[in-house]
Amino acid sequence: MANTPEKPKSNAPLLIIGAVLIVALVGGWYWFSTTKPTPPSANSTPKPGSTQAKPTGIPSSAPAGATPPNYYGSPTAAVTLEEFADFQCPQCAATNPVMSEIKAAYGSRIRFIFRNYPLDMHDKSYDAAVAAEAAGMQGKFWDMQNLLFTNQKTWASDPNYKQAWKDYAAKIGLNVDKWETDMAGLPAKQRVNDDKARAKAAGINSTPTLFVNNVEVPFAQINLNGLKTIIDAELAKAAQGQQPAPAANTANANK
Amino acid sequence: MAGRIAKLPLAASLVALLGLVDAIYLTIHHYNAEPVPCGAGFDCETVLASAWADIGGVPLAAFGAAAYFVAFSLALLAAFGDGRMWKLFGVQVVIMAAVTCWLIYLQAFVIGAFCQFCLLSAITTFLLLLLFVISKVTRAQL
Repeated sequence: MANTPEKPKSNAPLLIIGAVLIVALVGGWYWFSTTKPTPPSANSTPKPGSTQAKPTGIPSSAPAGATPPNYYGSPTAAVTLEEFADFQCPQCAATNPVMSEIKAAYGSRIRFIFRNYPLDMHDKSYDAAVAAEAAGMQGKFWDMQNLLFTNQKTWASDPNYKQAWKDYAAKIGLNVDKWETDMAGLPAKQRVNDDKARAKAAGINSTPTLFVNNVEVPFAQINLNGLKTIIDAELAKAAQGQQPAPAANTANANK
Repeated sequence: MAGRIAKLPLAASLVALLGLVDAIYLTIHHYNAEPVPCGAGFDCETVLASAWADIGGVPLAAFGAAAYFVAFSLALLAAFGDGRMWKLFGVQVVIMAAVTCWLIYLQAFVIGAFCQFCLLSAITTFLLLLLFVISKVTRAQL
């Protein structure tokens, strides 16, 4: 063959190639359709602003999560945005600036709750969540949360990552000794465990997962414009006097 | 000789099919945003959600699927006797292998995590390159 190149003598290869292309496209589409998240069912009860969102929410029977939660905004806001995130998840880090913009854009008009959901597949994410909670015990949860996400690529691949976190703790003005003691103690871990239990009860299996007034935000809409569209719709409905969906406990929240 | 070499393109087309299935699986995962089952010692999500996992919003796996389909087509045409397609196949797998080396480097030294499906794709690509090299070596010996 190599010495005397020849052209195919029949159409067989072209037919096979065409068949494989069709099988790949049709099979791929079928595979995609059967494995994608369940679409809204016809008889489900839509929640406010759920026209583009799955009608799935956190069941009322789910544990409340860390109480009080880490939240930003107003505890009496008509719109609650609840995020479940993992500090070692790159997509969560990519979403963090979006959440910062949302917080800045809406301020006290919404309540943004951050929930820890360290996935088992990440070796440092549980400890990172505990580090953030320990910072929260000195009122610096959001500072540590932001630093952990912003520098994720640095510490996630650093064998000496706890020293990096210690540097972050010092940078944001924590009493580092107390922070280390809190990291080793049970209360910070319990808060992470409580959030995790809520995430599991909600059936969450990937991060970041967001809920707006207890309606899950489709992954494709986890961006600034997508979130603004959903939040604006919820705010508009609230302004019209509709009742927002119940959300998590926020008493004495760390904001 | 022709019959002997034709077996290599045929084997290459089958290997390319395996790579195509793997790439389609990862592409579907990307658009479904569902986590893939990941073995112990791997961290698929870190790799698949990293900054290098897509180009302009299009997952790298989709480019991989297109590349494997082209490789499959070229190898099959070569298996049926078109020697020019085998040369094109060779050019393509060399490029694919180079890209694969870069992706392995990213996983090992930049992301710090490996994804088993990405490694399967790497093995598939290197196997394609190996089949091409064997065909050339065999020809040289003859």
